Amino acid sequence: METQLPAEDEEVVRAENLRKTFTLSRKQQRLERTSFARKVAVDGLSFAAQRGEIYGLLGPNGAGKTTTLRILSTLIRPDTGDAYVCGHSVTREPQKVRDAIGFMTSELKLESFFTPSYLFDFFGAMHGVEKETLAQRKQDLFARFGIDRFAEVKVRDLSTGMLQKVSLVVSIVHDPAVVIFDEPTNGLDVLTAKVVTDFLLELKRMGKSILLSTHIFSLVEKLCDRVGIIIDGKMAADGKLKDVCGEMSIEERFFEIYRTVRGEEA
Amino acid sequence: MKLLALMKKEFARFFGDPKLLVTMIIPGLLIYVIYSIMGSAMFGGEEVKYDFRVYLSGESQVVEIIDDALADSGWTAEFLTLPAEGAQTVEEALDRVNSGEADALLVFSDGFDDAIAGTGTATVPTAELMYDSQSEASAAFASLAGNILDSYGRTFELTMNDFAESADIMRTTMAGILPFLIVIFVFSACMSVTLESVAGEKERGTLATILVTSARRTDIALGKVLPLACVSLIGAASSFLGVVLSLPTLMGISVDVAVAGISAVGYIMLLLNIISIVPLIVAAIATVSTLSRTVKEASGYTSVIMIIMMVLSIVASFVSGIGDWVVALPILNAVVAMQGVLSGATVLWQCLAAFAINLFYTALLILLIARLLSSERVMFGK
Ligand SMILES: Nc1ncnc2c1ncn2[C@@H]1O[C@H](COP(=O)(O)OP(=O)(O)OP(=O)(O)O)[C@@H](O)[C@H]1O
Ligand SMILES: [Mg+2]
Repeated sequence: METQLPAEDEEVVRAENLRKTFTLSRKQQRLERTSFARKVAVDGLSFAAQRGEIYGLLGPNGAGKTTTLRILSTLIRPDTGDAYVCGHSVTREPQKVRDAIGFMTSELKLESFFTPSYLFDFFGAMHGVEKETLAQRKQDLFARFGIDRFAEVKVRDLSTGMLQKVSLVVSIVHDPAVVIFDEPTNGLDVLTAKVVTDFLLELKRMGKSILLSTHIFSLVEKLCDRVGIIIDGKMAADGKLKDVCGEMSIEERFFEIYRTVRGEEA
Repeated sequence: MKLLALMKKEFARFFGDPKLLVTMIIPGLLIYVIYSIMGSAMFGGEEVKYDFRVYLSGESQVVEIIDDALADSGWTAEFLTLPAEGAQTVEEALDRVNSGEADALLVFSDGFDDAIAGTGTATVPTAELMYDSQSEASAAFASLAGNILDSYGRTFELTMNDFAESADIMRTTMAGILPFLIVIFVFSACMSVTLESVAGEKERGTLATILVTSARRTDIALGKVLPLACVSLIGAASSFLGVVLSLPTLMGISVDVAVAGISAVGYIMLLLNIISIVPLIVAAIATVSTLSRTVKEASGYTSVIMIIMMVLSIVASFVSGIGDWVVALPILNAVVAMQGVLSGATVLWQCLAAFAINLFYTALLILLIARLLSSERVMFGK
């Protein structure tokens, strides 16, 4: 699948005034300890991610990171506002956006009955990748990430680390220009987490643009070129990592911003 | 292309797991075994020694052949040519058969053998076999003699007269019950493969992985329903064969007699009806499965559908004289059409209309599933 690479310094992802509210069921209202039937998850969010860079959405639990990334990957629709991936609107051209992105999240699972090789071919077909291109890509990617020896082992028999690699490779089967990744290292042990961060750096070397979400400061420091700090569904600060932080560490800067936004609570 | 890949995956999942395949075929086998045992228990499976008493009017060499065949089965017969002791005329012989004192009456036209050999008169020779299928002996004789006469060459006309109403009763019972049984078995076959199809993938998180690809939602829906319908068809066919093959034993008649009651066109019509309800039921259960958050929820809703369908097909089975409008009702149209076929009143247009209409409903449901797959609330609602 060909996705036109935007020119240098071009915005590959642009979110404009995204807003998303959820209707809460009685049970959810009790869990959230609120009597409001609606919950604003994303509240007028705007930002832009540049080509060839890693952009990190940093925020506490419930800030709206996952919701934002799901809107960008066309799984859900914003109430108002719009977002563009490689120039395609997520609300008006979801099909084109789906071919331009690889979405990775622990929410998306692979069927454990099949082998990595089969799943790679299957999802290649789902994105309409040519047979020859697909075979070539499979060989390259499987060798690059050490999956080749496990290509014919059923997914259910793979180790967690290998499974993680397979999921990552399968999600870029169609050579997307943009990779969107929700909480890349959440719930992973140190070894598997390293597999994932190495993978992301490798993707960046391959020229991909990456948009990720996290609440881990060290991950932002290690990986991100740009950062957007989300609090309560709103963008609190946004820009190049060193511009946002100045002389401070990202952790210090985050809490400073958090105190400003939330007042005395923090 | 995407549709093809989706379908192939569904098939691969199914045929890669022999256990699933076995679960498809087992119901039919079970039905056959259980019903056959029930049947033999009810009608006594052990060999009976018959000594037939048969009146003859006219004469033919066939009688000797029949006598030989009876001897082969270990049976004996006394052939009494009219006028004979106890019956002077054909009418009196009939009374004897009717009252059970004799087992059958065979009437050959004059010069039967000569006529068959082609040396006799120009009129077509006739043979009449009169019996009473309510008597086991009489029925056994009729089935054997009938077979021999049947295979004796078609140059004469054979009429078989059964005094008993039981053949009709058998047909009505079969016509009433069989479509109902078929629908139930087809439904359970479809349910066992379709129930978890979408809800299971939702639970396991594998559906969202497909939804983030650029595959069309209609392709995803079709890619589920078509393969599942094919697989269900195997299960439905197995159950159907189980019912059809064990029913005669269950009703105490031979398979030949039961099968002979339905024409080849009739069987094709039956099959057509089954083929049309399988995708419809699969699509309906897949819709429920799509709407459900978990497999458990889906199975709850599906059993409600099953009960409604059972009630409706029972009603359709035993209420006669439903108008032609029933053809517009999904599933029920097939039940009524199958009843028509089995009771000998094959109405071709009803079968074809039911077939077309059921496939139309299937298409609608597939479009509905595609819509649901794009619905955020249905896919990701909590
Ligand atoms: N489907 C939904 N129905 C109702 N409320 C939802 C739904 N999805 C998210 N929310 C609510 O919206 C808010 C933002 O959720 P979101 O998952 O986007 O946060 P997050 O930044 O990813 O948090 P975390 O770090 O916990 O993953 C939360 O309060 C959450 O409870
Ligand atoms: Mg989240």
